[in-house]
Amino acid sequence: MKVLGLSAVDQTRLLRICILGLISVVAIGSRLYSVLRFESVIHEFDPWFNYRTTKYLVQHGFEKFWNWFDESAWYPLGRVVGGTLYPGIMVTSAAIYNALHALNIPVDIRNVCVFLAPGFSALTAIATYQLGKEVKNETAGLLAAAFMGVAPGYISRSVAGSYDNEGIAIFLLVLTFWLWLRAVRVGSAMSAAVCALSYFYMVSAWGGYVFIINLVPLHVCVLLAMGRFSNRLYVAYSTFYALGTLASMQIPFVGFQPTFTSEHMAALGAFGLIQVVAAAYYVRARVTAVQFRAFVGCAVVLVAALGACVLVVLTMRGAVAPWTGRFYSLWDTAYAKVHIPIIASVSEHQPTAWPNFFFDLNVLIWLFPAGIYFSFRELSDNHVFLILYSVFAAYFAGVMVRLILTLTPIVCVLAGVAVANVFEAYLSRGSSGPGVAQVPRAAVIGAVLFLLCSFQWHSSWITSTAYSSPSVVLASRGPDGSHHIIDDFREAYYWLRRNTEPHERVLSWWDYGYQLAGMADRPTLVDNNTWNNTHIATVGRIMASDEDTAYELARRHDVDYVLVVFGAMLGYSGDDINKFLWMIRIAQGVYPNDVREQDFFNAAGEYAIGDTASKAMRESLLHKLCYYRFGEVMGAQAFDRVRKQRLPSSVSLHNFEEAYTTENWMVRIYRVKSLDNFGRSHHEAAKFDST
Amino acid sequence: MRVWAVLVTALAAVCAGQSFSTLQQLGKADRDGVVQLELEQFMAHVVPETKDYAVVVQLTALSAQYKCDTCHAIDKSVRAVSRGWRRQRASRRIAFATLDVDNGEELFRKMGIDKIPRLMIFPAGRGAEAMADASPREMKLGAKNSHPAGMAARLSELFGTEIRADEPIDYMRYVVGVVGVLAAAFVGRLAWRRVSASVVGRNVWAVTSITFVLVMTSGLMWNRINAPPFMGQTRTGDVVLFAPTNSQQYGVETQIVATAYAVCALCVVLLVRHVPRVPSGEQRALMALMVVAVLLLAHSYVNSVFRMKMPGYPFRLLLP
Repeated sequence: MKVLGLSAVDQTRLLRICILGLISVVAIGSRLYSVLRFESVIHEFDPWFNYRTTKYLVQHGFEKFWNWFDESAWYPLGRVVGGTLYPGIMVTSAAIYNALHALNIPVDIRNVCVFLAPGFSALTAIATYQLGKEVKNETAGLLAAAFMGVAPGYISRSVAGSYDNEGIAIFLLVLTFWLWLRAVRVGSAMSAAVCALSYFYMVSAWGGYVFIINLVPLHVCVLLAMGRFSNRLYVAYSTFYALGTLASMQIPFVGFQPTFTSEHMAALGAFGLIQVVAAAYYVRARVTAVQFRAFVGCAVVLVAALGACVLVVLTMRGAVAPWTGRFYSLWDTAYAKVHIPIIASVSEHQPTAWPNFFFDLNVLIWLFPAGIYFSFRELSDNHVFLILYSVFAAYFAGVMVRLILTLTPIVCVLAGVAVANVFEAYLSRGSSGPGVAQVPRAAVIGAVLFLLCSFQWHSSWITSTAYSSPSVVLASRGPDGSHHIIDDFREAYYWLRRNTEPHERVLSWWDYGYQLAGMADRPTLVDNNTWNNTHIATVGRIMASDEDTAYELARRHDVDYVLVVFGAMLGYSGDDINKFLWMIRIAQGVYPNDVREQDFFNAAGEYAIGDTASKAMRESLLHKLCYYRFGEVMGAQAFDRVRKQRLPSSVSLHNFEEAYTTENWMVRIYRVKSLDNFGRSHHEAAKFDST
Repeated sequence: MRVWAVLVTALAAVCAGQSFSTLQQLGKADRDGVVQLELEQFMAHVVPETKDYAVVVQLTALSAQYKCDTCHAIDKSVRAVSRGWRRQRASRRIAFATLDVDNGEELFRKMGIDKIPRLMIFPAGRGAEAMADASPREMKLGAKNSHPAGMAARLSELFGTEIRADEPIDYMRYVVGVVGVLAAAFVGRLAWRRVSASVVGRNVWAVTSITFVLVMTSGLMWNRINAPPFMGQTRTGDVVLFAPTNSQQYGVETQIVATAYAVCALCVVLLVRHVPRVPSGEQRALMALMVVAVLLLAHSYVNSVFRMKMPGYPFRLLLP
């Protein structure tokens, strides 16, 4: 039957293009909830840093951006911005912005940043289609693309407003993996070079590139172990490694790491190994003796073992840097809690309970093992890769919640493979092998379609309720169902922006650093980059010390304002008093004689904040700044809604004065008083004033 | 601490026979150098603040009747530190001792000590090694201090001299490891010859990988890191299989959920590979319907448990 005058093959192609178009529309559309409900605003914390650097890049040009030293971050240390970030996302946004402006479409840079991630999610769906097509056929590809477009595991980091590295990095991850499988199939240097280019773009975008540079060599090694060496594999990997590594070293943040850090040694080892194996096969093709082949086989094993030993010795002697804390904590799960509390304190770094998997992947989570089974049945080179990716991604996702993101692409692909197998068995007519009667066929297809629909409903609901919150702006419903917007954060930041001098420094816990820099545009002491543990511990010590010590330390660091987040009036449980224990732990790690965690629990061992609180807690700066004058609001019924305890009966504060408190008492800003004119302590001055 | 002061003044009349060498002699009787104190020895040699050496005492209850596992764990750590300290042969005079409840029951009762094991430090009060504050103090036993290395580190900080714990090399582990590897190599070599390598290899790898993925996605690492109870209990003693919140899980949940996922995946595989191969048409239809029913039920079960854990989740499949 001819439709639009096209042949059957062309009709299929047109249908496929239309389906992919629809998937893209759905992918972009389902990420727009927060823009529709609130406004086009950058979410969370880290995206604010990316946004600020993108604005700088667009205003000042690439040269200045690449060499930018930011004195207003990490006062007084500063931060070499150009050399300590992954520039991919900023450069992409700036390129799109400049392209649009060249076409005379005056889009604001904020809108480019907000809508970048949904745009790239459509591209990710298309890349997943290509990957599925490479692995099985177009049916599996389309299913995988459909899953990827709506899977909550990916949506969580790519909603409109989430301007973070993962937004484009997942697209590049899938693209690189597809190009790698294609390079192994085609076996030409050109295809491998294109893969290396995609890898370079990925390195510029996200620190998770370490996953690629370890998975691809692992794939190569497993293929070699299975005896599947071929010239295609040799050409593909050698070209990819050489070009990819050289390209990745162009990013200042990566620098020379590929030559000496443990995370990159697997790639180097596989490169050496494949050269040796290729040499062995080359010799074998020219020598007929079986014994010679056995000898060469032993030699290969010996060289590999020797290489591994050399690597171990070099690592132990320090010539090769050991795994950095962030990656090492994935293997030794107890490491971070004891040695690097900052890593352990981030909620995204906690291990994953099973509801999280079901939440993010729903039906796909059991189609995934079925897909692995089908991969084992065929076990071509591609399938070996998919299996390795599945196993390692499943382990990492189990250890850290955040890494469900890297698991999502492979789950979508393998689930697509499984469902494609079902469709092939039950939808094709007159296929070879015994067919199936109508009724069971309809039942099976109906059941599968029902499950897929339930997956779509689930994904939409999850996206709408769980992943579309800007975090900067909160919303709650009144008893009559009316919407009540809580905009305290922006209120506080804009107060700072309008009512303080541009050079005045703000002290707050590191969570709010990027937002302060982005919205209030003031120098901060610590921010989300968390590169200097001692500085963060100092801020923690200031918060945990009594008023006088804190005052002295704050003055020593030229602090002008202190900002704290306090959720007791609203019941916002992410406030600073709940984070206080982590502040204390981090401070104790560096100042064990000044800050002790046990001191902040009262005699009964409780974390009390009211009148039964321990002395250290009652006198600590954070406690005072949070509860100062709070009793006046609530009056006789003074009650902390988050900790569910009665408030302390009196809080005195002399060295700091209250500058601003937001409408719902969420953010409180205090000014560090300058020295008294008569040289008295502020306590004496207050006593005099009150008489 | 006031009670310790009372004790000290009461003992001021006791003949000043305390000396470090006495303690050392007593320590020789023990294999790790930890002095097993009797009450009079404790009062004479440890408590006086005028001594010129320091003593680290653990108050413990090691007899089997008390069933105190923590006491044994701390005892092991103290012994490891004492062994290491003895090996160091340092000139600093620090002794390690144990006061068991069997020997010092009266004392424990008078002091009102009800929480053991406890680690008490009795610093030197005079002489070159005297500490500014010679009153006895407790070293709180937390997660870090309970292990030999952590305890030694904390004591080193306290005394200002390096104390290293002796961690015995577990030879058994190495022997077992080597024997295990050799046995596996031997068995592997035999099996290689008997069975076609590729088929066995592939199936073994397939089962291993799929099982691994199933348990990982059912929260196994969460269990290993957070060590939750295997099952929950209501106040009346009824068994609870699923923790009521989304952020917690019991050990049994991983197993139930992994099994449910395995059942679903198995149904899909059966549908694709085995149902079309059934020879008789009627049987085929029946099997297909049964497998579909099992698949939908298993998924609905997981969905309903998820609903229970996540209040507000609106979707319901076949089961409530």
